[in-house]
Amino acid sequence: MRCLVDLLESSIAKKISVALAGILLVGFLAVHLAGNLFLLAGPQAFNGYAEHLANNPLLPAAEILLAALFLWHIAAALVARAQNRKARPHGYQGQRAKGGRTWGSRSMTATALLLLAFLIVHLKSFRFAPDRSDLYALVMKDFQNKYYVGFYVLAMGALALHLSHGIQSAFQTFGVNHPRYTPWIKRASVAAAVLLAAGFAFLPVWALVTGGAR
Amino acid sequence: MNFTLKIWRQKSAKAAGRFVFYQVSGVSADMSFLEMLDLLNEGLIAKGEEPVAFDHDCREGICGMCSLVINGQAHGPDKNTTTCQLYMRRFKNGDTIIVEPFRARAFPTLRDLTVDRSAFDRIMAAGGFISTNTGSAPEANSVPVSKPKADAAMDAAACIGCGACVAACPNAAAMLFVAAKVSHMALLPQGQPERERRVLAMRKAMDEEGFGNCSNEYECEAACPKGISVSNIARLNREYARAALFFPDHAESGKS
Ligand code: HEM
Ligand code: FES
Repeated sequence: MRCLVDLLESSIAKKISVALAGILLVGFLAVHLAGNLFLLAGPQAFNGYAEHLANNPLLPAAEILLAALFLWHIAAALVARAQNRKARPHGYQGQRAKGGRTWGSRSMTATALLLLAFLIVHLKSFRFAPDRSDLYALVMKDFQNKYYVGFYVLAMGALALHLSHGIQSAFQTFGVNHPRYTPWIKRASVAAAVLLAAGFAFLPVWALVTGGAR
Repeated sequence: MNFTLKIWRQKSAKAAGRFVFYQVSGVSADMSFLEMLDLLNEGLIAKGEEPVAFDHDCREGICGMCSLVINGQAHGPDKNTTTCQLYMRRFKNGDTIIVEPFRARAFPTLRDLTVDRSAFDRIMAAGGFISTNTGSAPEANSVPVSKPKADAAMDAAACIGCGACVAACPNAAAMLFVAAKVSHMALLPQGQPERERRVLAMRKAMDEEGFGNCSNEYECEAACPKGISVSNIARLNREYARAALFFPDHAESGKS
């Protein structure tokens, strides 16, 4: 506990821990997306994959680690944001950027809060659903609801923005900055963010439009 | 040229401030922004009013005393420019210009447009120095420094400590300033004995002054009159991680 408090006490240590958790979460999202793609192959393939996962003895430990990453990332990042607000009690008439900020970096707090709302809805509807015997049917039922799909797509837009800044920002936080590579890291960050978010958003839209795999 | 100025007026650190509109006329396009304010103040003094307080000293972009947020931008609209190097030809005749002090909890407003930037001095006192004998300058080539390192250290050392990075940062963070100072000394052989202690102590002093957390918005670099690169912040992050992980016992060493 003591060392977690120390981490929060130092602005730089806190920042590195947020970035580390964030990058590990990106890794989780990539694996999660690969799993979701089984939806395209139909109920048997998807439920088979889900069962395979559920039978893995390492799953409980992995879930605890994942929950810890999310909780730490969210808590430490929001503590930082709260401190930042306090660091400028009197704002400007109209602060004008001079060319550093991006859409992604400007909207970090907003996209973070939208992602938090999504995370809660998402866990409630799938991870903590009362009956998880036929996951394919469970997912497809929600993906036929146009409001649910709308919210899902909106949240993935937020994810794209969050990660378009987040991934490249994490590199800077880890101290990786080089005149030759940083411009490419920034481009790759935007590309990875858009690909990941588009991959997730594609599935509910596909399910809504086509009714899913038969 | 003629301008309408909307200037922050505040009698003292404790008093509440407000914006006041002023007209200035007869401004030459070749006047600097500060000379334009001088003209305004001469008019105010002639009318028996209190002149607008603002910081300045060298008026040639090297001392770091001038400040101001002009139309929402620290040191005004130009890149790599201090307010004293900003010329009125950059504005259109008849423009309304908003002039505010640098805003941060760690830079309290003292009067009108002047702010207290001594938080930077305290961060420097915590670790922004090297221990060496003064008085007898060593022969310049007795300690070899590679050209790339000397260049990078020189770029970081260009920081004049004006505080525009803090003023421009959406989080009022002081990372670019601290990064410039840490980099400047970490890159050179003379800075090695206190390398770990310095970064640990300066980080701590920075946080204790109440600056915000860096979120890599890079507005500091864009506003820096000396064009200090955020690659220095990456170096600060590396230096800090290295010292905190492998040399934590240095944090308290060297303090009396
Ligand atoms: C679920 C709710 C989430 C919240 C509330 C949240 C919150 C935040 C906030 C506030 C920041 C800015 C931190 C700063 O000030 O430097 C941030 C950065 C970041 N987030 Fe998130 N986030 C969430 C989800 C995610 C997810 C799902 C991922 C990845 C898959 C992610 C990856 C990142 C990364 C890589 C950064 C950049 C760290 C850095 O600036 O160095 N976040 N997050
Ligand atoms: S007055 Fe010295 S830098 Fe502007």
